[in-house]
Amino acid sequence: MIQIQNVSKWYGSFQVLTDCTTQVSKGEVVVVCGPSGSGKSTLIKCVNGLEPIEKGSIIVNGTKVNDPATDLPKLRSHVGMVFQHFELFPHMSIIQNLAIGQVKVLGRSQDEAHERGMKLLDRVGIKMHANKYPGELSGGQQQRVAIARALSMDPICMLFDEPTSALDPEMITEVLDVMVELAQEGMTMMVVTHEMGFARKVAHRVIFMDHGQIVEDAPKEEFFGKPHSDRAQQFLSKILNH
Amino acid sequence: MFSNFDFSVIPPSLPYIWQGLVFSFRLTVTAMLGGIIIGTLLALARLSGGKALGFAAKTYVDLMRSVPLLMMILWFFLLAPFFMKITPETSALITFTLFQAAFYSEIMRAGIQSIPRGQINAGFAIGMSYWQTMGNVVLPQAFRNMVPVLLTQTFILFQDTSLVYAIGATDLLKAADNTGKLYGRTVEMYIFVSLIYFAICFSLSMFVKYMNKRIAIIR
Repeated sequence: MIQIQNVSKWYGSFQVLTDCTTQVSKGEVVVVCGPSGSGKSTLIKCVNGLEPIEKGSIIVNGTKVNDPATDLPKLRSHVGMVFQHFELFPHMSIIQNLAIGQVKVLGRSQDEAHERGMKLLDRVGIKMHANKYPGELSGGQQQRVAIARALSMDPICMLFDEPTSALDPEMITEVLDVMVELAQEGMTMMVVTHEMGFARKVAHRVIFMDHGQIVEDAPKEEFFGKPHSDRAQQFLSKILNH
Repeated sequence: MFSNFDFSVIPPSLPYIWQGLVFSFRLTVTAMLGGIIIGTLLALARLSGGKALGFAAKTYVDLMRSVPLLMMILWFFLLAPFFMKITPETSALITFTLFQAAFYSEIMRAGIQSIPRGQINAGFAIGMSYWQTMGNVVLPQAFRNMVPVLLTQTFILFQDTSLVYAIGATDLLKAADNTGKLYGRTVEMYIFVSLIYFAICFSLSMFVKYMNKRIAIIR
């Protein structure tokens, strides 16, 4: 589904990604972790072309992302993305947030879009707030709406960029619950997160990044059992021993 | 000192002054709408990253902002007749729109830049094109954020319309001036129009305060 091949990226003379190669198969849940500044958020933003890459190639569902001829809006319309800071549109009500992409991009009618939107809101438990504005909801609720907004486009895979990092601890669970449910339904997911509990529960593979490189790319059991690299061992021992 | 004043000249001149006021409003509204539309396009051109387009827009804005409005009004009125037949009123409408566009463009540029990058990414991420993202996500928020400044600029614009006096277009001030001279009561008429300008600007500013409360985005 997602193939990342020898991807390198620079910001000016600073290299943020170095020769990253990995893939996410259909139905697979891959967790990307690593210290801050390791390039994991940058890597996931390259997958749907929000960040350009200088070297290598990224292929999503058979379409090359870094080809100038690629219709990026079309590609992105079926790759859902959830951001660290939710990024709901603050000037639209919750249901409008879910309808806008369906109407403007997929060409659905308002009624159809609202109906589909309400179903998804019901699923993430926000139905009663459909007519409120994003600023009236808690962070956890906003992030669940953001997931519903991504799902409203009927995505073939979902990208999560630190979806719980901006949340109060007690709201993390409500967002993770929705994500676990998605994973168990067989959604293809690439998730940048520090939530190792989530990784243990639903991930198939875990990728560990440091200094813009993929240091470890292993099945979950192997990664949590005995990571190959020292750096990953250090990282795990620091975040797991509490 | 008011004993020598004769305010009885006001009622008979009202219909004529009204016409002047209507033109002042027409000028304000035309320059505001035209200015915001052209100004937004100029702002987008400057932010687009396109070198030639951005440079052209920047040159235009810098040029317009470096010349006093009164000079622009005079120059346009003096030069335009070489290219077309033009009344002072039409000349004023065009000059004001072009001039205000430069100021509105700077306001809109600040407004657009105040929208976080993440919002643009969110628009892109659900498959919107650049223009869809601008039109549905960025500009609606930029306008809301900028309403107080846009309206302040519009007050200044409304007050500046009195400058068309210089080219003889009949706005509120010119109309008052004409009737004042007709009756030999210029000072009374100036006092009267000052009160009109004050009443309009003051009530508009009350309206702006009310609007700000209504359309502010809950964050």
